[in-house]
Formats: sequence, structure tokens, C-alpha cells
Amino acid sequence: MTQFLIRRLLWAVFLFIAVTMITYVLFFIVPVDPARQAAGKSATAEDVARISHQLKLDRPIYVQYAYFLKRLIVDRSLGESFANRREVNEMVAEAIPATTGLVLGGAILWMLIALPIGIVSALKPRSLIDRSSMIFVLIGISLPVVWIGVLLQYFIGFRWGLLPNAGYCDLVNPYEGATCGGPWDWFTHMILPWITFAILFAANYARMIRSNMMDTLGEDYVRTARAKGAPEPTVIRRHVMRNALLPIVTMLGLDIGIALGGAVFTESIFGLPGLGKLAVNSFENFDLPTLQGVVVFATLAIIVFNLIVDVLYAVIDPRIRLS
Amino acid sequence: MRNKRLTGIALLAISGLALLAVSSATAAPSKKGGTIVVEMASDVDYIDPQLSYFGETWKLEAITACKLFNWPDKEGAAGAVAQPEVAAGLPVISKDGKTYTFTIKNTFKFSNGKAVTAKSFVDSMNRFANPKMQSTGVAFLDVVKGAQDVIDGKAQTISGVKAVGNKLVVQLTKAAPDFLARTTMPFLQAIDPTLAGQIDANGVNEYASCGPYYFSARTPNRSITLKRNPNYKGGRAANADTIQVNIGNDVDVEFQNVEKGTTDYASGGIPATEWKNVVNKYGLNKKDGRVQVRPLLDIAYVAMHHDRPMFKNNPKLAKAVNWAVDRQAFAVQGGYLAGKRTGQILPPGLLGYKPQGIYPLRVTTGTIKQAKKLADGNLRGGKAIMWSSNRGVAPLRAQQIQFNLKQIGIDAEVKLLPRAQQFTNAGNPKTAEYDLTIERWGADYADPYDFINILLDGAQVTNPQHNNYAYFNVAKYNKAMTAASLLVGTKRGSAYAALDGLLMREDPPWAPLINNNDRSFMSGRVGCIVINEAHGSGPLLNTICVK
Repeated sequence: MTQFLIRRLLWAVFLFIAVTMITYVLFFIVPVDPARQAAGKSATAEDVARISHQLKLDRPIYVQYAYFLKRLIVDRSLGESFANRREVNEMVAEAIPATTGLVLGGAILWMLIALPIGIVSALKPRSLIDRSSMIFVLIGISLPVVWIGVLLQYFIGFRWGLLPNAGYCDLVNPYEGATCGGPWDWFTHMILPWITFAILFAANYARMIRSNMMDTLGEDYVRTARAKGAPEPTVIRRHVMRNALLPIVTMLGLDIGIALGGAVFTESIFGLPGLGKLAVNSFENFDLPTLQGVVVFATLAIIVFNLIVDVLYAVIDPRIRLS
Repeated sequence: MRNKRLTGIALLAISGLALLAVSSATAAPSKKGGTIVVEMASDVDYIDPQLSYFGETWKLEAITACKLFNWPDKEGAAGAVAQPEVAAGLPVISKDGKTYTFTIKNTFKFSNGKAVTAKSFVDSMNRFANPKMQSTGVAFLDVVKGAQDVIDGKAQTISGVKAVGNKLVVQLTKAAPDFLARTTMPFLQAIDPTLAGQIDANGVNEYASCGPYYFSARTPNRSITLKRNPNYKGGRAANADTIQVNIGNDVDVEFQNVEKGTTDYASGGIPATEWKNVVNKYGLNKKDGRVQVRPLLDIAYVAMHHDRPMFKNNPKLAKAVNWAVDRQAFAVQGGYLAGKRTGQILPPGLLGYKPQGIYPLRVTTGTIKQAKKLADGNLRGGKAIMWSSNRGVAPLRAQQIQFNLKQIGIDAEVKLLPRAQQFTNAGNPKTAEYDLTIERWGADYADPYDFINILLDGAQVTNPQHNNYAYFNVAKYNKAMTAASLLVGTKRGSAYAALDGLLMREDPPWAPLINNNDRSFMSGRVGCIVINEAHGSGPLLNTICVK
């Protein structure tokens, strides 16, 4: 197990360096000079040179990358935004609660939808409930998130006024001047984003659960369990679900990791100040350090969740460890 | 145009001169109290007075700052004339035009109770020039004696700026008729001693200020709160107790919130398709009405790169483009009342504007025929690269211009770029690899210099950062531009009007398209609306009141 863990950790470090290096290089291929942009429209050549020096943009790219790594590892800093010189650590930290709230709440919702649909559909294939739920799956997969979000926002939020149409309220400690805040406001403001975010995933997961369950139901060990007289609920719970849901654990971990990098569409539609929105704004302003900060966080999230899933998997299924 | 404002090199002492005649600003009778809620789609850069450079920030600083000279809270021509604010009248100017002595009024106080003095302005300029602040607008101090030494880190304070009792003495390196106009910039507002000591390139998010309001709190990317300055005794309105700026919702949500009444003013605008609906529903430009539209001193145009083969010494093709572009279709893409078609450089309302009537504002088969005739034999291969922004309706507009060019034989490849990349690279001779670029410019101050000289003077085209996107550099026109900039009054207006006509008639650097409008949509609960484009687009937030 220790060897397995060390191997996974080393792989994670390599992955992190590779991803940050590639994204760093990609940003510098874009033909725009942040110093010129930051200097303003009336800047002189001297102003541009001065700002370029201040931002360390006058050094070769590998030196800049080395600075970036040193800052990240030694100083544990993602640097300062080109657009407003704020600490990127601070900006990313401020954006994490909204994204985490959205992703975790969304994950709970999509599992609450997908599990019963997937299981019931697998147990009663080609029944009315199976066909109806598969129509839901088809709709969920086919409809773009943006469209669903805008419709929910317009009708439920604006036209019928049943829920807030957009905006984010802090769960605790609302800032000065905040027009809302506290658990109830946070919850009501998150319902529409959760639904928007969860529909696609719920559809995908329902389909996956159904398919895995149906495959497992045909396995020899299930037939053996039934032949031995095990009650059907026990067969389903212990033999079918336990095996069928194993790949779902992997998917869930990876999807949460990826989504933590920023649910761009949902956050943009509902004005959630999360990582996705931060990334979009940074891109529009060519604020490379902030964009890089979001990428670093997303990479870390994916790596960490990947690691957790691997370890969990190894704990649950000894075959993984041995291989 | 990008959020950033160019500033002002407002020449002419239009500012200065006419200004005197105008009496000090008086607030309209209004209802006080309550909270006004404003929404912005994205956050401002800074609220620190020596760092902020976005138009949206300057809109807020228009009500928090007190300056030597300022724009009155009035509409139309009366609002476009700067007048002394903290300065007690015009400064005494030395005979050589290089020393300005301002007398400072003793009635202004910061929100923390401290008095505004001559030193408040000395502190402001020193903080602005301090290299540790890394201010991006320090080029505006170029005429102030000793400022460059501070910017270069060779001196601690600007030698040419001194406070002597209630007098502020500013020495310049050369006579600069636009110096008074520069004092209207938020960069040069009075700052209190506490802020003067806060030298931080990251800026501050709370500080005492001496205008009608002050920034009481800021949560980046979320919210800005402004409160009425309890010590303000200037003549400007300060109606609402609090102005709450919420940040982050897109224009669709802003529109919905203003319709519902949970937001009072959609500073980020509303969807282009909704303007027609709201005008039909609420009427247009009614007194304190919900939909207000004012012409901006602004222009959208296609700049034709005169230093690349296609348009270099090729005025016939440049004229052909002017005959071919469909200005009406361009305007329509922006939604109802987006702007007014134009075929000249200067926008209506600006000194020197005179309808030139050189190019058609509506495309017909006849105009296309004329365009083809001009283009014939002057296409130089006919392959062109055209840059456009990739945001909003810009790609659609680029497609439409591409079609217009195709009609006269120009096969334009459209390159859609993020706005920042487009104008940054267009303003740099090393990266300006286009034949045409669709641009927009908004006035920083009401003077033709800000359009003709700033956008077309050839002296700047070798700079790594300039605004002459047409790379237009013709000695005789450069000379005429400089000559016009030194004139005053009607002579100045006539000279610029003549230049406008001459340039567009003889060798058009651009194909002007439309003069954009400032469209504001407000909730039903607000009134006391005053719009003064010199302060920034939209209603002046200090004058808005709750009905």
C-alpha cells in the first residue's frame, strides 16, 4: 500500500508540473503584451518598459516560469493580478466558497436524482418507469446547460418570482453592504444554479448506473447468490450495487475535481463569484497570473480527487492494489 | 471602447476660459435619503484615486472626489464646461504660462472631518508620481516640473508643486494650455493625510474623500458601498444616503432586476434587444423617466491601415470603402437607438462639428456602383485582414462589413480578438498586422483635439502605444492639426471643421460608421436624474433620488 501511495504521489507531482508548464507556455504564445495593456492608452515607451520590468515580463519565459514555481512552492504565492495587483491567492480563496457550494450541492442533487432513476430502471428494464426516466436522461444530456439556466432564471426567478433569479449570498459573515446573507438566503440563491448544474450530470449518471447495474445483474455471482436463496434486497444491495457502483465512485471523484476548477456557464448565468467566473473575467482582461491561479487550483483539485479516488478504490477493491 | 479612459489633454482652455462665466453648481431640488442600488457586470480595477483608470471607476469617483476644477452637475452645454470647485476661481498664471497659483477654498472637508488644504493636492501629485505606487497614468504629470524625477525614483517629492498657506503653486516645464483640464481627472483629486501616507501599489479599498460621497466599503468582485460625506459643504447634490453597487450579474439579470425594482440602475446596460421594448413600455427621455438616451461624444469606425500596401497612398480605395459600408446595418446590430449614422470624424455636439455630407449614410445600388468605380484598379490584390473584437455584437458587425467589402472586390479575412488584445496590438507598430480594424473611441473631454489630434496625428505612429490605428501620417495634415490645436474659440471650431471635411474628402483615414448613444435604464422608484457625459456615461449617482 505504501509503495502504491508513493507511486501515485510522484505521478501527481509530475502531472502538476506538466500541466502548469504547458498552460504557462500557452499563455505566452498569445500575442498580447500585458505591460502595454497595464500601461494604459497614453503611456510612453518608458512607461511600458517600466511596467514590463515591474511585472518581470522583460525576462525570458523560462526565467519567468522559474519565478512562478519558486513563488508557488517556496512562498506559496500565486503572484499578483496584472489587472489590479491583488494577491491571486486571495482572489482564488474568495472564489472557492461559491464554486465549492455549487459543486458539492450539485453533486448531492445529481446523485439524489441519478441513483433512484438508475437503479429502478435497471431493475425494471423496458417498463414505463424505465422508458420515462430514459426520456429524462435524453433531455438532460441534450439540453445545453446555458439554455436550461437561462430558462430557469427567466421563468422561475424573474417571471414567477419563486426563487431569486441570480446573485450569491454568503453562507456566513456577509460583507458590509451585502443585500443578503446567512444559510437561508444562501440556500435559496443556490437552488436554481444547483438544478442547472446537476441536470446534465444526473442524466449521465442515471444512464451509467442503469448500465452498470444491468451488467452486474447478469453476473455469475449474482445468479449464485440467488441460487443460494439470498433474499432479493440482499442480493441487490450486497452483490449488485456494491459492484455496480464502484466505477461511479471514480466518476464522481473525477467530476467533482474537474468541476471545482470552475463551473463556467452556471456561474456566469447566475452571477456566482466562483472560480469559473474569475477565470472568464481574467481571460477577458488577459490577467495571466489570475488565470494561472485558477488553473493551478483546478489542477490541484483534479489531482487530489484523483488521488483520493485511487486510494479509496484500492481500499475497497484489493485487486487494484495488487496490480 | 475599452473601459479605460484616455485622459485629457483637453487643450484649450475652453475649459479655463469659458468656465469662468458659469456660476457655481447648484443642486436641483430633490428628495434626500434612502439607498440607490446600482449593478455593474464586472468589477472596477481599483478605487484608489491614484490607481483607478476604468471608466466605471471614474463614474464613481465623479461623486467621491473634490478637485481643483470639475464638471458641474448639469446637462448639455452647461455641464460640458469645467469650473472651479475647490479652487477659489481661476488660478493666477504667470506671463510665461509656466506657473499656476491656485487659491484653495476653506469650505471643503474630507469624510473623516479633516480640512481640504493646498497640501491635499500636493500630497495627491506626490503620491501619484511615487514609483512605489506604480500608477499607470503618470504620463499626465509630464509637464509638471520635477515630476519625472519622482517617477524615476531620483527625488521624494515633486519640486514644482508647493503649498504656501492656502495657495497651491504648480510650476510647469512648458506652457500647457490643457493643464486646467487635466486637474479634472480623478488622479489629481485632493487626498487626506492618512491616504497620502499609504503607499501601496495594490491600492486601498477604503479612504476618506472630499466629494459628496465616500467609499465606505469594497469587497472586490462583489460590492462597493458609497455613503454620503457628512462633512460635505460644496454645492453638489448628495441625495441618497447610500449608493450600493452590486457586481457580477450579466446584462440579462441586470435588466430583470431593474424591471423588478430590486436594482435602480443597470450600469452594465441591458440586452440590445430589450431597448425597443423598454422605450415602448416606458417612453423615451421623459422627465425622470426610466429610459434616458443621450448622444455620446463618441464614434465607431473602420480604421484603414495607411502604412500597409493596401491603403498606403491609395485614397481612392479608402473612399470606396466609405461608399460601400452599410452604416444603417451596423447601427441596427447594436439594438434600438444604439447610435446615429455618420460619415465624418467629429461627432455632433462637438466644437467644430459641421455636417459634411460627403458619404452616403444609406446604401443603395447607386452607392455600391460608385464604390466599385472607385475601387476598380486600386484593389492591390484585394486580400485584406480585418480585426474586430470578439465580444457582443462585434462579430456580427464584422461579418456585415466583410460583406460590404466583398461587394467592391475586397476579400477580407476577419480576425476576432479579445478587445484588450485588439487595441493593444493595433496601437503597436510591431504587432499591427491588419489592413482594417473596427474601432470605437469615446471623448475624454469635449474638444476636437481629442478626436483629430489624438487619433490621427502622425507624430505618434512610431510609439509602442498609440491611438492612431489608421497609421495615418501625412506631413501636411499633421501640420494642419497642430495649427488647429493652437487656436481658440470659433477659429478653432472652423479649423477643425475644415480638417474634418478635408481629411474625409481627400484621403479618408477611416470609414466612420456611427456615433453611439448613452442608453440608461432605471427603476421606477428613482428620480432627479441628471446625465452629464463629461463625468462619464449614465446618470450622475449623486443627483439620483428615491421618489
